[in-house]
Amino acid sequence: MSELDRRDFLKIVGLSAGAAAAAGCSDPADKLIPYVIQPEEITPGIAVMYASTCQECSAACGLHVKTREGRPIKLEGNPEHPINQGRLCARGQAGIGRTYHPDRIEGPAQRSGDGSLQALTWDDAKNKLAAKLGSAASKTWILGGTVGPSLDGLLDGFAKAAGIGGRLSYDSFGQQALIAASQSVFGVAAAPIFDVSDADLVIDFGSDFLDTGVSPTEHAGQLAKSRDMNAHADGGARLISIGPRQNLTASNADIWVPAAAGSEGLLALALAKAVAKKTGSNIASSAISGADIGKAVSAAGIERASFDRVAEKIASAHHAVALPPGIAAATTAGAGAAAAVLLLNAVIGALGHQLKYPASDARPVSSLKDVLALIGEMKAGNVDCLLIHDLNPVYSLPASAGFKEALAKVDLVVSFASLIDETSEVSNLLLPDHTSMERWGDANPRPGVRSIVQPTIRPLFDTQALGDTLLSVARAMGGGVADGLPAGSWKSVVEANWSDTNWRQALARGGVFEATPTRDVSVSSDAAYLRPSAPRLQGGGAFTVIAFPHSYYGDGRGAALPWMQEIPDPVTKLSWNSWAEISLKKAKEMGVVFGDVIKIETESGSIEISAFPRGGVRDDVVAIPIGQGHTVGHYASMAGDDQPGVARGANVAAILPAAHDEAGGQAFLSTSAKVSKAGRFRRLALSQWTDNQRKRGLAQEVSIHDLTKGGMAHFAAVANASEDSGHGEAAAGGHHFEGPPFEFDPKNDAEPGQPYRWGMTIDNDKCTGCSACIAACYIENNGVIVGELEAIRHREMNWIRIERYVGEGNDDVREDSERRPTPDGEILGHAEVRHLPMLCQHCGAAPCEAVCPVIATYHSPEGINGMTYNRCVGTRYCANNCVYKVRRFNYFDYGRLNWPGLLGLMLNPDVTVRNQGVMEKCSFCSQRIEAARQPAKDEGREIGDGEVVTACQQACPSDAITFGNYREESSSVSTLARQGEDRAYHALQELNTRPAVTYLAQVRREKNEGVH
Amino acid sequence: MAPPPASAVADAMNAPARPRDSQTNVDIMAVTKGFHWPWLLAFLFAVAGVLMALGALIYETYYGLGVAGYQAPVFWGVYIITFVFWIGIGHAGTLISAILFLFRAKWRNAINRGAETMTVFAVLTAALFPLIHIGRLWKFYFLLPYPNQRYLWVNFKSPLLWDVFAINTYLTISVLFFIVGLIPDIAVARDRAVGWKKAIYTIVAAGWQGTGKQWKAHNRAVLHLSGIATPLVLSVHSIVSWDFAMSIVPGWHATIFAPYFVAGAIFGGFAMVLVVMIPVRRIFRLERYITDYHFENMARFILFTSLICGYAYGAEYFIAWYSGVEPEQTSFWQRAFGPYWFSTWCMIIFNVVMPQLLWIKKLRTNIPFLFVLSFFINLGMWFERYVIIITSLSREYVPAAWGLYIPSTVELIVLSGSFCWFSMFFLLFLKIFPIIAISEVKELEIHARDHAQAQAQGGAH
Repeated sequence: MSELDRRDFLKIVGLSAGAAAAAGCSDPADKLIPYVIQPEEITPGIAVMYASTCQECSAACGLHVKTREGRPIKLEGNPEHPINQGRLCARGQAGIGRTYHPDRIEGPAQRSGDGSLQALTWDDAKNKLAAKLGSAASKTWILGGTVGPSLDGLLDGFAKAAGIGGRLSYDSFGQQALIAASQSVFGVAAAPIFDVSDADLVIDFGSDFLDTGVSPTEHAGQLAKSRDMNAHADGGARLISIGPRQNLTASNADIWVPAAAGSEGLLALALAKAVAKKTGSNIASSAISGADIGKAVSAAGIERASFDRVAEKIASAHHAVALPPGIAAATTAGAGAAAAVLLLNAVIGALGHQLKYPASDARPVSSLKDVLALIGEMKAGNVDCLLIHDLNPVYSLPASAGFKEALAKVDLVVSFASLIDETSEVSNLLLPDHTSMERWGDANPRPGVRSIVQPTIRPLFDTQALGDTLLSVARAMGGGVADGLPAGSWKSVVEANWSDTNWRQALARGGVFEATPTRDVSVSSDAAYLRPSAPRLQGGGAFTVIAFPHSYYGDGRGAALPWMQEIPDPVTKLSWNSWAEISLKKAKEMGVVFGDVIKIETESGSIEISAFPRGGVRDDVVAIPIGQGHTVGHYASMAGDDQPGVARGANVAAILPAAHDEAGGQAFLSTSAKVSKAGRFRRLALSQWTDNQRKRGLAQEVSIHDLTKGGMAHFAAVANASEDSGHGEAAAGGHHFEGPPFEFDPKNDAEPGQPYRWGMTIDNDKCTGCSACIAACYIENNGVIVGELEAIRHREMNWIRIERYVGEGNDDVREDSERRPTPDGEILGHAEVRHLPMLCQHCGAAPCEAVCPVIATYHSPEGINGMTYNRCVGTRYCANNCVYKVRRFNYFDYGRLNWPGLLGLMLNPDVTVRNQGVMEKCSFCSQRIEAARQPAKDEGREIGDGEVVTACQQACPSDAITFGNYREESSSVSTLARQGEDRAYHALQELNTRPAVTYLAQVRREKNEGVH
Repeated sequence: MAPPPASAVADAMNAPARPRDSQTNVDIMAVTKGFHWPWLLAFLFAVAGVLMALGALIYETYYGLGVAGYQAPVFWGVYIITFVFWIGIGHAGTLISAILFLFRAKWRNAINRGAETMTVFAVLTAALFPLIHIGRLWKFYFLLPYPNQRYLWVNFKSPLLWDVFAINTYLTISVLFFIVGLIPDIAVARDRAVGWKKAIYTIVAAGWQGTGKQWKAHNRAVLHLSGIATPLVLSVHSIVSWDFAMSIVPGWHATIFAPYFVAGAIFGGFAMVLVVMIPVRRIFRLERYITDYHFENMARFILFTSLICGYAYGAEYFIAWYSGVEPEQTSFWQRAFGPYWFSTWCMIIFNVVMPQLLWIKKLRTNIPFLFVLSFFINLGMWFERYVIIITSLSREYVPAAWGLYIPSTVELIVLSGSFCWFSMFFLLFLKIFPIIAISEVKELEIHARDHAQAQAQGGAH
């Protein structure tokens, strides 16, 4: 090189330094701006909790809304609320998304002839409506969903004051059949309240009470209590589930009776007769004596021996209770079926114990029959104006009812929806309501339980509470219309309705909770009972259509929420789409594999969906979830995948007839179908490759029989001893169980001399698989929703998942070697499902920590496997080496791109939002540990047991998860692990990873003979 | 003693105008001269491939690794496969240059340069992939133990970190060895060049005059560098294999990996040498220098290492069965008969079955056959890494988490780009420096000539 003089040298140095500095530049730093005027109750960094009520379903669980700096960011259950007692299901957790949803209607608007929307002011809007009502009140109808008592009262008042033609308060999942049955059997026009906490036998005739029943969070908690192994050494309550499809309740049952669809009522009456004969009871003998056991057994398609076994079980129980058929089993004879179940309850002595009637009658709600009558009026041109609130009838009503066509004849259709939906898309006037986080209201799920709904954020858009809209429209109508209505605002209406309580206290507590006043009932001596009968099915197809409520979509309203789409269905593990379940045998006959599109035709219509062959359905049914198939909505339809207007999946309402039962409620089980191959393939996002755990001991089970002899240790000894002789004990769950080869104490895997080793005990026996924990974890930890295309490629970002295995598995090397997922382990009539919540095990000898080249993942002094996002370069070696496969990688800039609209406002400020290219995984909610640390430090003590509650633990309706400090002898996590040591194991313990999560094996309470 | 005659002194004082150009020089340097159509086409194609891959990489870096085909639980894919492939290729060159040098295997001299070139550029290609496959490419320097304010160290227990050291060591030593060995040949080029090219060659030749002292120093340097490079042949790919063997993944966690990978590396490397040198020999008319004798020896190496690989495949399957560990058994059975059966059987047939034809002597020196076979061996070796990585990851301990991996377009573009990158550099080298080690070949010629003279002058020794 030639001479380098001083000037050149300095130039080069300067340029290099500049380049280095420029390279060091990353994103410009955003500045945090403190409050100029800080609101009194807000301290930045400290959450403010409000009590409210969940409005995702009719159970009306109580909420604690966690707000930060004026924004709700997380929903928890309200511990004081009698319905959910501090827990919250997945649907409730996801409800927070509605407030910030990209689908929100931002203000009043009018739809012009070409379909486009023009914004209006509220004044204009209310004047328009007032003008219409002024001229056509008698030809105006209100069609809405069921609402709380204050709004219900105001709507009635408004209807009366304005001279409205009629008002319908409709819930497609209403309990008309059960109420009619109660009237018939007991002379009481109310729905019974079930409490299974003290039961020793629960027989579910298709209510699916653990998942899609009337109050799943409450009932799951009750069942967990009745089966708690610590309280009941004999295993507690037994669960028998009856139905053609293995739903979540049947997946958790001890005995699953695969009765044919619609035969529940006949079976119930037959069982009542058989049980009465055994116990010598003569309650309702006249009603029961007419039951034909042989006919019921053949209608159900089961063997007589199985029937007798079930009858024997019921007869020998002391606190048995039977639950009536739910939505999926709602036939045209639904009230008759419910009546049969009520009679069975009377015979087995559940009345007044597990089954109680409230002292007051049920509030009357409208039925499908009423809606059909309205449609008739609409078709006849007698309806000039229709006000629709809290309901999406264009979507949810059976297409054959012709609502959409009839709507075209209505001059003015007004929608109060908060989020765009199929109904608002064809409405002329949009007057958007606040979402549930922004409005006042109340709920009265049952007498004695009055629950407050209060706003937790200022309205984000130019929306107005329905109550306020009604009041302002009434006032704008003039002519003394408003005289019949309360003065003031909607809030004052609610307050007035609560004037008999201590309002401030009610706001703080979440409501006023008293014991529900009940009345004693007995079987009426009158003869007029509804009779169960075989279901009347339209069409002559070979398959019975079962439209079952999806765990997360409800009647369709849940499909808009991203977590409800992404969290896999707890039974099939499918997400983001519809599917049609057919049996493995039928699939083979038709040459259909998982993903093949099949055409399902009924007399009402036809749809094409991807097939999901599974062993857990009868050969004669095709089962399709309700609630999918929306054509409108960012997540509900394919609009979020750049295909606006394209339906996501199929709406089963397109093939259902407008059939109803004796009480007018919709009969979802009312048609048969012809099923044929459509000739194309449409991949579905299935989050599990197989349900075969190959005897690897991931989800273990121990029989109640062996527990009494010393649990897993005894079981292992017997199993290993009898290995050569082939089959283990008949009552045993399997014979490849390996006892712990390495004894280790989780306490040791943290730094000595400090008081904490965080860990978890998960009771598999309590876990129902409902996945509330998954929803809670997503929202607490800013988990991103990746969408269908990425979910198909297994790139979901959930930090906890529930693995659903069937039995101990088949370890034949050839099993599951196809080029596609093969979850085909279910067997009809066998209840062998095991749920395994799988999350980061925070191993003491973590395979991931050893291989990260940059020490981005490390073992904290308190035993937590930490993740330093800023250090991670994304080699993904840790994910390869994790034997539990709980690590997730940010393949795209999810943190920036996957929070459309205002959804970013619900991010938890205590948790990092992850960058592109870094790994993430469960952190045992470290942010919550840190939140508990400071107060403890201030008080000069250690963090006590129960002060740190992880999000998953908090949500679980069955209290299956317990988190705490293993180094504290008296902590719940240590105590449970000790108490359950006969059942305790660690997942894949033979790999010596020393996990901090102790699982308590599921308990097998009944012999696994299957029911045929 | 009488003084030398004046004419001899005068002769000695008049240095010849140019050094005498031997036929060897002319033949080998002819590669760098003149215009060859195939070369130009190949070079343009390679540059185009590199540019396309660069575009794909920019796209991938911007949007994220999601554009690649990764599907949980398969978190490593085409990039790591290709990384291991290229590192493996390099080993043959070092073996030929260093190990065969120490063993005084004379036949290495003609192919030594070509192989060493291949090594250097293969390692250069491989070194790109640790950058390409990580999620945050721009933070790659976290992998290096550089002094920093926060006292952060890297994780010395991690095999990937060992890779960092191993690859860097290998690159450094290979380049040094390469350059040192090249110097006498660069001097040949320098002496024949004119103008600006001569200036550059002069700088790079570092003042080589071919004096006795320089030769002595050169030989010592080569000897020592060979000594340093020799263990690298065994260690580098052992360390790379420990990326897999040190993990807990069934199908990876096996003690046979180090020797298995080293043998496989040499196997694939020799095949690549053949794939590269056979066309070069043909197009540039170097048949005199690379003869049947060389091909025969290379073919024997290939056969030998193929047998080791075959043994390793067999041993893996045997141990999986013998161990009785069900996850291991299932993983291996599904390798052969599961979704990836095609890749597995390609691997076995190309790597183990086809090379057995080399037992036939005639085929060992059949150039077209060797070329086709080597091509398939390279394909087979790529598939071997594919099978090891993808099938093991797709069938781990938790059956619910099993998955399938399918390479995406972006990955395939980058894969082909790596071949183009390698080819681009190799083709450039062809045109600039001698592709056959002139000094070493001459050494053999001189030796042979002396030997022939000695024999002609009467009788055996």
